[in-house]
Amino acid sequence: MKSIMIKRLPYLFFLGVLFLFSMSPERVMAAEKPLEIVATQALFADLVKQVGQDKVDVRAIASPKFNIHFIQPRPSDVRDVTQADLYVNAGLDLEAWSDPLLEAVGRPQLFRRGERNLDLSSGIRLLKVPDHPVTRAEGDIHLFGNPHFQMNPENARIMVRVISEKLKEIDPVNASYYEENAKVFLGRLDRKIAEWKSLCAHCVGKEIISYHDDIVYFADFLGLKADQELEPKPGIPPTPKHFQFLEDYVKEHQVKAIVLPTYFSRSTAEKLAKRIGAKVATICQNVGEAPGTDDFFSFFDYNFKQISEALQ
Amino acid sequence: MQKLYIFLLVFCQMCFLKIADVGADFSLEEEVTAMKSQMSVMQGKIDVLERKVYSQEDKIIEQQTQKHAYERRIQELESQSTQQPQAPVAPSMPSRVPGTKWIPDIGAVADVVLTVDHAKTDDEGGNRISLRELELVLGSNVDPYSRLDATVSFSDSEEPSLEEAYLTRFGLPLETTARIGKFLPKVGKVLGVHRDSLDTVDEPLVITKFFGAEGMSKSGFDLTKMVNIPWPITHQLTFGVLEGGNGEDGTAFGTARKRPTLYAHLKNYFDMSDRTGLEVGFSPMFGSKDEGANLDVRVLGVDATLVHHLSANQDLKFQAEAFNLDRKKTIDDEGNSLGGNFWGTYGLVDFRFHPQWATGFRYDYVEPVDNPADNPKSMDMGYTGYLAFHQSEFARWRLQYTHTDLSTGKGDDTVYLQGTFAIGEHKHKLQ
Ligand SMILES: [Zn+2]
Repeated sequence: MKSIMIKRLPYLFFLGVLFLFSMSPERVMAAEKPLEIVATQALFADLVKQVGQDKVDVRAIASPKFNIHFIQPRPSDVRDVTQADLYVNAGLDLEAWSDPLLEAVGRPQLFRRGERNLDLSSGIRLLKVPDHPVTRAEGDIHLFGNPHFQMNPENARIMVRVISEKLKEIDPVNASYYEENAKVFLGRLDRKIAEWKSLCAHCVGKEIISYHDDIVYFADFLGLKADQELEPKPGIPPTPKHFQFLEDYVKEHQVKAIVLPTYFSRSTAEKLAKRIGAKVATICQNVGEAPGTDDFFSFFDYNFKQISEALQ
Repeated sequence: MQKLYIFLLVFCQMCFLKIADVGADFSLEEEVTAMKSQMSVMQGKIDVLERKVYSQEDKIIEQQTQKHAYERRIQELESQSTQQPQAPVAPSMPSRVPGTKWIPDIGAVADVVLTVDHAKTDDEGGNRISLRELELVLGSNVDPYSRLDATVSFSDSEEPSLEEAYLTRFGLPLETTARIGKFLPKVGKVLGVHRDSLDTVDEPLVITKFFGAEGMSKSGFDLTKMVNIPWPITHQLTFGVLEGGNGEDGTAFGTARKRPTLYAHLKNYFDMSDRTGLEVGFSPMFGSKDEGANLDVRVLGVDATLVHHLSANQDLKFQAEAFNLDRKKTIDDEGNSLGGNFWGTYGLVDFRFHPQWATGFRYDYVEPVDNPADNPKSMDMGYTGYLAFHQSEFARWRLQYTHTDLSTGKGDDTVYLQGTFAIGEHKHKLQ
């Protein structure tokens, strides 16, 4: 009896596999069911939520507590993207892990430039686009221009517009709903931008050093100068030699603050700050990274308060 | 001043005359209705104008968006035109930059190993430095539904070999993805990945002894899909048919390529928290020895991986795999017993304690298949410790010490210093 069972094992195995294969993920578009949207990072997820409100279920892959460049997507992320109606990302090379993730998902409409892949860099005026052939001698990342464009709140105007257009396209029944939510958001954004500009009016023309080259759009918005980073090149960890360079640099430049998100080494920043007599300020890169940064507006409230105080 | 006064006087008089005129012809009531209708006409006009303003606003935003897109395109084109005289060879940007779209993603990974070996065996051992491997990796989309990937391996001690070359077909019915060609089977955690993705310099003993020195890359096809069993556990199922045989010096299956091997892998993943994930996998394999094609060699693999992110820059990983190999027992001409039931396992702890530094330990245990009867022991055991330094994302150094106790009764102590460097496109397939 036992030997018959063992002989038949490969066939039983075959049947089991067939059975499991037949259990397909259901992705039915019921009219009242909210759209399933997966964003790469929390700020994008929040913008989608602002436009989609009750008509969307949105989640972010990357935890705001981690460096967005080096996330390792989990099998649960693969599952969520497999079932998603829309994948929202920064494009460029912000999420270097995005292509392998989408390949593991294997749905062509979610691939780069696919109709269900929303690339939020479209329409954004990019900064630091390389004007020469680049090699990795210049660092690991930012091959297509600086991808940290969500740090300028002005860019949310374009992103929200693009999001609302996409939602209208895939869910035309609720087109006016998305349009209305986007209008409300943009109205609020106008008021907040005026508020932030006046809060940080004293920052114009001042210089800061950031840990990673992720602050240029933020600096651009405020009229700050941010030419130097603790990293000698994007993605290359700080070295003693580069520290020395920065110390010499600040002798000829008035640097008032060193800024970094929560996931880089604050002690490294403090070491330099002490030597050059600057303050260290946390500037979050994502919604939810620090307490009280739960949505787009509170996130920027937090960041502008931080920079305003540091440059007081 | 006087002129202005006269002008105003004349103007007022004219107005009065006009109103008096109107008053002579219509009653006050009619006048109000007329004004009302005029107002509603004007209201309508205002509405139309308002709508026009809104649509103009939309257009402006749209045009701004377009303008930015054009600006970017101009920047791209400008950078290309400045590049061309300087760089007549293939630009270093990946294929998604306009103008280079037909060039596949190309990457190379060099693996240099300095080995200091105090082997207590007679014929092996010795100190050497070698370019263990240079992997040339090519890949690109074939069409909207498929992608071709190939890996060619060069080394200073062996002939170049084709490690992988397969087509991935996406978007098949039931959301299935298929691979066809020569590839690494998705069995467990180590067999499915390239050497440069390992946490250690070498593969665990159970992998090298059962399946081959670098695992086994085989021709065949496989199908992978997510299985829809409700949240919170994620299931992924792979089923494949491979040509027969093992990798280099592997012993699990026979050598005849026409005796196929069936395999499946069920991956189960559970997010225990935001910071902790647990994966448990099962991998049954059915293959044959050369004498018969009745799938009588059975391998059952179990793997478990727990990853815990202590902080943004500190990770702790526990990984273990166990394989049970079952093959019909035979006695050869010299009286040695071949086949039987064998176990092999390893356990690994990896601790990334700094953004650039990681350390770990691996324990190995394997019962050799086809073990001569006069060997004093029936298992090989190994103890490995390592320290890895990530100079950057694409350059890594690793120092490793391994002690092995072999079934032959001999022991071995090896120190490795390894450098792994990647250029070009270098993306790891998701595990
Ligand atoms: Zn960056």
